[in-house]
Amino acid sequence: MDVASPAPVRAIAANAVLVARFLPVWLATGALLVVAAFVAPDALGSTSWSYVLPLTSVLAIASLGQMLVVMHGGIDLSTPGVISFGGNLIAGVGAGSDHKLPVAILAALGVGVAVGLVNGLLVGLLRLNPLIVTLAVGQIVLAWSSKYSRDVVTNQPNVPSGLASWARDKPLGVSNVFWVGLAITIVLALVLRSTVLGRRFQAVGANPRAAWMGGLHVRTHVVLAYTAAGTLYAVAAVLLAGVNISIDPAFGSAYLLSPIAAVVIAGASLSGGLASATSTWLAALALVFLTQMLVILGLSAAMQYVVFGAAILAGMVVSGDRVTAVLGRLLRPGAGRLALREGG
Amino acid sequence: MRGKRRLVAVLLLAAATAIALVTAGSGAAGGRHSATSGPSGVGTGGPMVGSGGGFGETFAAPKGTLAHALFQANLLPPGKAARNVSLAAYGRATKTVNYALALKCWKNNGCSTGTGGKYTVAYVEGFGENTYRQMSKMEFILQALTYPSIGKIIYRSAHSDLNQAIADFKSVIAQHVSAIVTYPDFGDAMIPVFQQATKAGIPVSTYAWGYVTGPGENYLTVVGEDTCKLGQAFANVMNTQVKSGDIAFMGGFPGNPLSAGWQTCEQKALNPSINVVANDPTNWDPSKVQGIVAGILAKYPDLKGLSYEDALFMSQGGYAAYQAANIPYNGVFTYRTDEAGMGCLADQLKNPNLHIYYYSAGNAQIRVALTADMMKLQGAKIPPEIVFPIQLQQQSKRDLCIKGYPATASGTSLIPLSLLHQMYP
Repeated sequence: MDVASPAPVRAIAANAVLVARFLPVWLATGALLVVAAFVAPDALGSTSWSYVLPLTSVLAIASLGQMLVVMHGGIDLSTPGVISFGGNLIAGVGAGSDHKLPVAILAALGVGVAVGLVNGLLVGLLRLNPLIVTLAVGQIVLAWSSKYSRDVVTNQPNVPSGLASWARDKPLGVSNVFWVGLAITIVLALVLRSTVLGRRFQAVGANPRAAWMGGLHVRTHVVLAYTAAGTLYAVAAVLLAGVNISIDPAFGSAYLLSPIAAVVIAGASLSGGLASATSTWLAALALVFLTQMLVILGLSAAMQYVVFGAAILAGMVVSGDRVTAVLGRLLRPGAGRLALREGG
Repeated sequence: MRGKRRLVAVLLLAAATAIALVTAGSGAAGGRHSATSGPSGVGTGGPMVGSGGGFGETFAAPKGTLAHALFQANLLPPGKAARNVSLAAYGRATKTVNYALALKCWKNNGCSTGTGGKYTVAYVEGFGENTYRQMSKMEFILQALTYPSIGKIIYRSAHSDLNQAIADFKSVIAQHVSAIVTYPDFGDAMIPVFQQATKAGIPVSTYAWGYVTGPGENYLTVVGEDTCKLGQAFANVMNTQVKSGDIAFMGGFPGNPLSAGWQTCEQKALNPSINVVANDPTNWDPSKVQGIVAGILAKYPDLKGLSYEDALFMSQGGYAAYQAANIPYNGVFTYRTDEAGMGCLADQLKNPNLHIYYYSAGNAQIRVALTADMMKLQGAKIPPEIVFPIQLQQQSKRDLCIKGYPATASGTSLIPLSLLHQMYP
């Protein structure tokens, strides 16, 4: 703590740095929408939103799971495995029958919990490297999913019609999937911000040693983070199954890196610490919207990849630690460090 | 400490519940069929087409079998040599083989046939993880089992990894296999290993128009349909059904020769009053198909037609995009493949404004490729290209929703239905 600065000034500086961490994604998304209004106005039409908003929710929920892990300095590469297996279970256990849908959803969620728990135990208790552990666990789950898909789902790849029609229903003109994603985001943001559990969760992520010295169970929180993440991936799988109507062998494969990209663009630091659920949701929206905008623009596939990659790079450059550090230096030496110590 | 234990206990209980549910789900769906043997039952009826023989083959096949695989018995390759190879291959498809062994071989990715035959044959491909490729693998195995001279069957998939594909190819050459059938997912990158195999006296054939430069020189032959004529057939449908307005193309991986082949020729053959407003690669990924179709519909909600390779993916991801956009699933759709799921969706919708035209996925072409290899081993001269004529089918006249067929299976496959059920219970 810098004893030379008055407390109100320090608080203002810290808050400014904190806001700066998450502000770029809001500005960038706004800019993206403005650009779209000029170069691809169809991307802002209702037909486009009817695709973008449900998919945003799916990516946002997967990204929120990733965010919980990243907040503890970890990373989770088991996302495609859980989503793939979860989706296949919806079709396989559901067997096209609405009566079996609840069991199918429970099975999918159960797989998410189980995979997250295994990841959490291996990383949190055995202290194994999260990158390798989650990649390996994800591969095993993916292989299991592939076998299950071949043995069970190929014959009947459609999800129960009740789930598909629920995903298609549009209260207030927008898909149920969107509202679920928004609700989960808000609830998670409130839990992290306003509850004891959430505060402790953030404290452990920001500084595990200090949290341990303060009497918090660091390992338990790490296990909890991975388990909650696995559960959120499974929720994303259920929603994606409803949106896609049917399950294919590549189901979920697109969710390896995009949730990580969304979390980082949203301002989180891969080394752990503070993150924002609402900014993560917005980053997911920006990524899905950008993809759709590029398709509508009719760019060649190669050009789409170039623009998309450049956008992610730009997002990373202007968000998170870099902005925090730069703004901290501009405001006053020590302010950035202070903010990092306090929140991440 | 007690709280921590309670949390771990709850999580373990959830995990156990999940595993139990998954096991219950798998158990309910599996184990309903047992392996059996018997005649194929795929179009064995009707008179024989063709006559004569040589190089260990009979150049004749039942009319029913040809009609099942090719829509009509007369849709054989035009050249005499190519026609004879095809007749020999489809004639063999009706032979009784040990289906229990075929299933085991399919599940284990290879087997010894038990005949003690001197030949070892290999099916090597760059990617084998979808139903289409798995069905091709079974067609290959069934065809190989009709040859007592084949003692061993090898299968390799490179899981979309070029280096692995090359390593797999070199590995079977090193094992001194007698013949190789392949789908060259990586195109001309495979030329060096094709040449290496050819130099070693191993015939290499591709199917489903898996075109690599230099058939007849770099490798034995390419089996498939003329993709340019496929595009012209698509254009003919659009010209007569759409007449004027906006249509779209979708393809597979960017730059793949299959998509480029039909797209270039369809574009040239279209009426000037028809505009191709989009041409997007989908990587043959149904989820990507959904995004692409959603993007096209956002800009062109009155789209009148669409041409694409994969009928099933369009019926899954494409249909989902129409549903999400609340746009009626109307239009003229031309496809290269013929999965049952597409037909069943059309039957379910009963939409008079939905006009679907399709060709064949061509799984059974792999049988022709293997027979070409086997005839080469007996000294036959094999033409560098074995090209089947194109004839599109209309879903409303030739319903693809075949009772008991897996949604993802091609309706023109020559795999017996009973065996298909054992592959996909």
